[in-house]
Amino acid sequence: MRTELHFDQDWTNNFIKQIEEDGPWANWELFKLAIEAEKHTAIPSFTGLQAPAHLPHLTPHPYQLEAARRVVEEMNGKAILADEVGLGKTIEAGLIIKEYMIRGLVKKVLILVPASLVSQWAIELNQKFYIPAVVQRKSYVWDQCDVIVSSIDTAKREPHRSIVYDQQYDMVIIDEAHRLKNNRTKNYEFVQHLPKKFCLLLTATPVQNRLDEVFNLVSLLKPGHLGSYENFEKDYKGKEKSVEDEERLKALIQKVMVRNRREDTGMDWPERIVETVPITLSPEEEDLYRSVEALKKEPVATRSQFSIITLLREICSSREAAYMTLKKMLEKENVSDHARALMNELIKKIEGVPTNSKAQKALELIQSIEGKVIIFTEYRATQIYLQWFLKEHGITSVPFRGGFKRGKKDWMKELFKNHAKVLIATEAGGEGINLQFCQHVINYDLPWNPMRIEQRIGRIHRLGQESDVHIYNFATKHTVEEHILTLLYEKIQLFESVIGQLDEILTRLGMRDIEKHISDILLHSESEGEIRIKMENIKELINYQQNQKEDTDATRKYS
Amino acid sequence: MRQENIHNYLRSYFVANDCAILNERPGALSVQLTVQLDKELMNRPFYWHYLEKIGGTPRPMSLSLITNQHIEENGEFIHFGAPRLHQIFSSTKKLASYIRLYEEIPTSPHQQLPLHPWLGLNIKVSYQCDRKKHRLLSLGLHLVSGAVVSDFHDLLLTKSLTPKIPDYTFTISPIIKPSSGLTRLEGVVDMLVSQEEHSWADEAKKRWAADQLLLDQFYDGSTDVESYQVEKEALRKQYEPVITVDIINGGIFYLGPGVESEA
Repeated sequence: MRTELHFDQDWTNNFIKQIEEDGPWANWELFKLAIEAEKHTAIPSFTGLQAPAHLPHLTPHPYQLEAARRVVEEMNGKAILADEVGLGKTIEAGLIIKEYMIRGLVKKVLILVPASLVSQWAIELNQKFYIPAVVQRKSYVWDQCDVIVSSIDTAKREPHRSIVYDQQYDMVIIDEAHRLKNNRTKNYEFVQHLPKKFCLLLTATPVQNRLDEVFNLVSLLKPGHLGSYENFEKDYKGKEKSVEDEERLKALIQKVMVRNRREDTGMDWPERIVETVPITLSPEEEDLYRSVEALKKEPVATRSQFSIITLLREICSSREAAYMTLKKMLEKENVSDHARALMNELIKKIEGVPTNSKAQKALELIQSIEGKVIIFTEYRATQIYLQWFLKEHGITSVPFRGGFKRGKKDWMKELFKNHAKVLIATEAGGEGINLQFCQHVINYDLPWNPMRIEQRIGRIHRLGQESDVHIYNFATKHTVEEHILTLLYEKIQLFESVIGQLDEILTRLGMRDIEKHISDILLHSESEGEIRIKMENIKELINYQQNQKEDTDATRKYS
Repeated sequence: MRQENIHNYLRSYFVANDCAILNERPGALSVQLTVQLDKELMNRPFYWHYLEKIGGTPRPMSLSLITNQHIEENGEFIHFGAPRLHQIFSSTKKLASYIRLYEEIPTSPHQQLPLHPWLGLNIKVSYQCDRKKHRLLSLGLHLVSGAVVSDFHDLLLTKSLTPKIPDYTFTISPIIKPSSGLTRLEGVVDMLVSQEEHSWADEAKKRWAADQLLLDQFYDGSTDVESYQVEKEALRKQYEPVITVDIINGGIFYLGPGVESEA
């Protein structure tokens, strides 16, 4: 069957009218210019990228251009962009949107991103790509603007939801798409029902090895690409995966996914200079720590009401953090008198701690650094304490938390950039802020999930960072912190290597929940020696897998 | 489009629209807009509405445009991707849709010459599936004999044309009416397009069918659910091959005799 032709009737109808009314007629110079303009803007070929010629201020890296080309030419405009953190997925997405807009295939675009990233996306699209993206702040924006940036939480709620469904978007972009890994959530269902002519899902978390999650993401993009849910369960889950099955699945996923790694980009990245900063507890702090540690032998400790490991970690951070946890424990119902007595005793000890050795060390370090510093802590109480403590010593700092509204986040970032020396961020604040102007990160306390470490470092070790990046890991001697840092993270070179591989390895080992593993080891080991041996085991396992992986990668390269 | 081309384009556009050039050097251009162009380009409807209400003196703005970014001057930098340039492109198209011109040929009071009517169309054909490309056509139809000339615009560029009928010439009345001329040229476009290779459309249909098959497997018979219908329709929009024919501009041209015999 041949393709149908559609003629533009408006022009011809008007033309007949002009003839009847004898004009008005256009000027010959303008008439010629109109043809010239068309010659310049007409697209001669289905293939190749037009966007770069429209973006003289932007010099994309070769791997970014290649990613855009593949999405348009090989993936038909539906893809998961899964570059490692900091490689510029937004640039790739921008190139793709621009390409489709230039070719007239896309007019209306919906960009759904975490609330903290909304204004950043709008600014980048406008400034770097001349795409008139508008932040959704009022409900009439949906109808009046073609390119909208919104948080998914706003878009999925009425009255917005119905308006969004009525819009007929040509392209849907979802940033931090790994949040859609669960197909039973409201967010998933909302996106599933959106018409997606072209669609990009952006995520920095490598998903290849988590079968359910990758199935859900791919099915959102291209339902059926990995089969139906039942068949997928049958083929890949439950039983041991055969090598052929695994290869077949990988090949399928690669058809819809672009994933660049730092090492494949062929670019010189600034170095990561990692330094461990040992902290010695003061006698009072030491006493407090040991008292909690001793509770391991108490029968109450085996019950969940006493989170010993949490308390130990908090004591290493700040007495304020530990105090908050104890207070919460006391407020719980059904606390036995014995437990209550133990808790009150600990609170007394906390009150007796005069200084914070770690904060003191942080202060010295910050004073010795010329540039700006980011401090990451897991605890809000520590964050507040540190801000007060630094201020006492004449150092200005700004706090940063995940719970901040988007406007406040942007404001805090600007304050940090222009007026403050230090930014103190809690874990939840890490995602989605770009702080390339800073070169120093203090891991004031360490998250036990290694993936989160990369999220932290990725804030500053990313495209646009021109100098080497310094990472200071604080570890309190003879405590849980030291176990984690020196027994495990340092040995597997967590801070130097980029995390993608580690995630794969942990998945293979069935240790996605490494946090829980470590907790168990620390809680149930009888002695220092036992902890040491068990940690050594994990390290060996990880290193073994790492070497194996390198071997297979190498054979693949040369085969 | 090179930066010098952009400069020349901008200059021609403003001059053709009767704007005064305030200042010009290589890579920089300042122009005084007319009322018409201010309304066309500057996007300030409230100002003009207000002014017309109170009957004040109109003050159209001036524009400073830079095409060489290393130049030390204030103004808007215009490059191929600049929204301003594309605004001017579409304004050009809007202002120059329909035309009527006469060829200036050497004549004398003793020898009056006939000018033959032509219908000229500049056409953009868009081939669209999940990808897109264009083909530009320029066709001329001799409204007396029905002869068709391709690359008509290039032919016109070799001639000297004027909006008023020159002295000592007279126009021959068309035998083919413009409206039936348009239908004839539509037929020509249809024929030209049908002679092209259509593998792109077949490939697109294959991609479409493949994705549709996956979708059916995914929903496994439960095709009455809403999300299935949404996805199915999205696939159609993504892949369905469509060819559209847009007319960029065109008009009636009275040309000296002889062109039709070359067709």
